[in-house]
Amino acid sequence: MRLSLRITAVAAAVMAFAASTQNVSAQEYIVSSQVVSDEVVGGDCANGNCGGASGDVVSGDMGIAGGARTYGHPHLFYNYYTHGYSNGVNAQMYVSPQPVPPFVGHTFMTYQPLEPHQYLYWHKDTYHNHYDGGRGLNRTRAVYYSPPVGTAVQNVYWNWLRLPR
Amino acid sequence: MNRKILLQLLALVAVMCGSVEQASAEHPYTYTHRWAQRAAATYPWHGPYYNQQYQAPVALVVPPTAQMRQTYSWGVSQNLSYPIHHQFGVGAPGPGYSGLQGFRPTPQWPSHTDQFGTYYVRGPW
Repeated sequence: MRLSLRITAVAAAVMAFAASTQNVSAQEYIVSSQVVSDEVVGGDCANGNCGGASGDVVSGDMGIAGGARTYGHPHLFYNYYTHGYSNGVNAQMYVSPQPVPPFVGHTFMTYQPLEPHQYLYWHKDTYHNHYDGGRGLNRTRAVYYSPPVGTAVQNVYWNWLRLPR
Repeated sequence: MNRKILLQLLALVAVMCGSVEQASAEHPYTYTHRWAQRAAATYPWHGPYYNQQYQAPVALVVPPTAQMRQTYSWGVSQNLSYPIHHQFGVGAPGPGYSGLQGFRPTPQWPSHTDQFGTYYVRGPW
């Protein structure tokens, strides 16, 4: 009797552990498609009234009268910048390490999951993209991972077995 | 028989404990992330030197999971390690390039790795 009780308790512990494991694995970074833009979204730009100074960050969900929620088009490509206190100069991440001259143009990476900085570490992301006026939700799950054994085998091949040509 | 089942269940629990540790590797909103954010808001991301090639301090992108950086210099006990607090984030803070005001060139005889004008900034999550 006592043993069966103990087994029951252990089984309950196993179930609890399974639930907590699921919770941990569900802790992915969810990237929503909220509009974050260097340009002011939806301003009266035709009359030259595009809002504040350039460099303002405007969220697409803000500034809507009546609290109505909108689902804007996600930004084509958003850059990342350095922050800090009393910076003498600021840096942007793309194009790294500093902007190319203006006549060269700009590099746009239009698909967020394939941005190069995502490959810097192992992680999982989920991209949420609203469409059809908020009635549809497209979810994209991206897993950035390199299997250790396979990578080691590839390294052995590439560094020692491959014919250098 | 029951003892065997009990042992098997315990082994299963042990295996799952190991998998839990692996699953909780990194997450953007840990308390160490908040520490780094707070510390980064108190000092600039760059040092006092500019990079000779780019004529400005250069932010070298490192993985967001990087934690410490090593500096080398001449002399006894001059090799120090510092935490990397700064991280690229959204929000354009202003001009991306303002010339060389306030920055020094790399000395002709550099004596410290910070004098090369390249500074680590962690990539975004």
